Amino acid sequence: MSKALTSLPLISRIRFRDAGTLVGLILIAIVFSFLSPSFLTLPNLVNILQQSSINACIALGMTLVIISGGIDLSVGPVAALSATLGAAMMVAGVPVPLAVLGAIATGVACGFFNGALIAWGGLQPFIVTLGGLSLYRALALIYTGGTPIFGLPGEFRAIANGTLLGLPGPVIAVGVLAFVAWVILTKTPLGEYLMAVGGNPEAARVAGVPVTLTKLSAYMISGGLASIASLILIGRLGAAEPTLGNLWELDAIAASAIGGASLMGGRGSIVGTLIGCVILGALRNGLTLLNVQAFYQLLATGIIIIVAMLIDRATSGK
Amino acid sequence: MQHFLKAALAAGALSVSIGMAHAQDLAPLNSDSEPDRIDWSQLDATFGPMPAPADGTKVGGVSKTLTNEYWRSLGEGYKSFADAHGVDVVYQAAQSEGDQLGQLSIAETLISQGFNALLFSPQTDANLIPALEKATAAGVPVVNVNDAVIPTVAHYVGNVQKDNGMRVAQWFIDTHPEGGKVAVIEGQAGVFAAGQRTAGFTETILAAGNFDVVASVPADWSRELAFNAAATILQQHPDLIGFYANNDGMALGVVEAVKSAGKADQTAVFGTDGISDAYAAVRAGDLTGTVDSFPVLTGEVAMEVALRLAAGQDLPRVVATPQALITKDNIETYATSDLSALRATLMAE
Repeated sequence: MSKALTSLPLISRIRFRDAGTLVGLILIAIVFSFLSPSFLTLPNLVNILQQSSINACIALGMTLVIISGGIDLSVGPVAALSATLGAAMMVAGVPVPLAVLGAIATGVACGFFNGALIAWGGLQPFIVTLGGLSLYRALALIYTGGTPIFGLPGEFRAIANGTLLGLPGPVIAVGVLAFVAWVILTKTPLGEYLMAVGGNPEAARVAGVPVTLTKLSAYMISGGLASIASLILIGRLGAAEPTLGNLWELDAIAASAIGGASLMGGRGSIVGTLIGCVILGALRNGLTLLNVQAFYQLLATGIIIIVAMLIDRATSGK
Repeated sequence: MQHFLKAALAAGALSVSIGMAHAQDLAPLNSDSEPDRIDWSQLDATFGPMPAPADGTKVGGVSKTLTNEYWRSLGEGYKSFADAHGVDVVYQAAQSEGDQLGQLSIAETLISQGFNALLFSPQTDANLIPALEKATAAGVPVVNVNDAVIPTVAHYVGNVQKDNGMRVAQWFIDTHPEGGKVAVIEGQAGVFAAGQRTAGFTETILAAGNFDVVASVPADWSRELAFNAAATILQQHPDLIGFYANNDGMALGVVEAVKSAGKADQTAVFGTDGISDAYAAVRAGDLTGTVDSFPVLTGEVAMEVALRLAAGQDLPRVVATPQALITKDNIETYATSDLSALRATLMAE
């Protein structure tokens, strides 16, 4: 560990980093509110949160996996597979809660498969989940024959389209999930294990951390969250498509990185990741309001990720 | 709190069921076979000349991606018609054809800005449904413009996809009365346009009796995949007389495969869309033909439909846009940048 790391207690160092991410978000918000009068209005802010919620749901799991020293490239196809299975169950008349559980179980099972190959098989996370990326997408396409499943029951759609205290259902659901993830990471042994396994797997093993189970649980949580994200999406769309979730992994990794997660493992923050998601959402929203073409949105995203990394480098004193 | 939660859920369920009840008034749209339709050339005759738009009218367009010439040209059509009628237009597209959520975000952000009408070209049949529902609830007319079809949409502007393949099949039937072996390079599996184009071609050419469709494989709109597929098919069937590809990019890949197999004189290649590279290849004699669906003109027709709807006119659910089979014989008739001349040519057909 570097000197800067040891000279500050870990927790306050992370909070310091989160504050930096927040300052970035505030700067972006100030710029957009000067350029576009409709940016800083309540409906638009709610809109940004709603548009960020699916990426946030994926990014929560991604952050935990990244902290454990891994990566999960298969989240989009896992989402597609669990969404199409869940939707098919609902259309076939399976009660909604049961179909929802079935979809989440599918995601967790995919995560278990990834995690088992990585934790027990000792295979590299990047390659395993890259394989998963093709494998789960193929299963979703084969299962549906490539066509979307329409006609989801209204009671299911009501959850994703309802509001509570003026906030859309997806925002509340992801908020609750984020709180749970924050508790897991900061208040439970699993959180410490994730940090330890990602920081130094050998030392963690010697210290008696259950390395295999820790890695396994990270991928299972990621798979489960991917299926919840897909349920939110198909609730909003009213249809499940086998092509859904394309490139979700990259947005989620970007949000985690902007929020301070290190791909070397051992470092990352739930709060930072959430702010990272809102930064990406606000950027897309603001540039659309200004009628800036998508190519420049991509440019802006790239610049922000790299600036965040440079700031990381500078502040961590390496 | 629990009470509140229940009430909120119930309210949500109620509003959704109202939304769904409204949506259920319309049968799921099949833009090719919907009976409530009109050809673009009949708009003036049936509904009178284009009404002058109200002052300050603005229309938003959301399309797939600007990396594809087709969608850039469509936007030019929107703009040229809007400019001619003093209407503001905002045209936005997602980063790539796979970016479904990004396109939804763009559409939702545009809706919040208060447009008089919206033109959507969705990535998939489902990804813009929330935006459509939001706009409909706000009373803003939405026109689905080519080529994915939102099943619940009230207005669609685009070409008849099936007719696309039928035109190419008819060329083979006319030019090769003796029949022969042909192959199809399909677009992405499960995409409406790809399925309809392939079905139109296959059904028409098989009905002639003496043709064989020896292969029909998807190449996912990719030039490279199409090249590989065509090379394999040519090895298997050296006596193939023609290929039909679901778009021009793939057709140009097929052209390369045909040339490197030394079959350019024997094997005809047809594409779809009429992009400028395809026109150049037809002129050069590499590509036998392409079915042009005139994206700029389609954009103009779509903008006209949006403005007529914004002015309160009640139009049929589908407005069919023009298309034509372009070959070396007629290419100069259609390769004009003069839109009014093109309009006149197509109207006369």
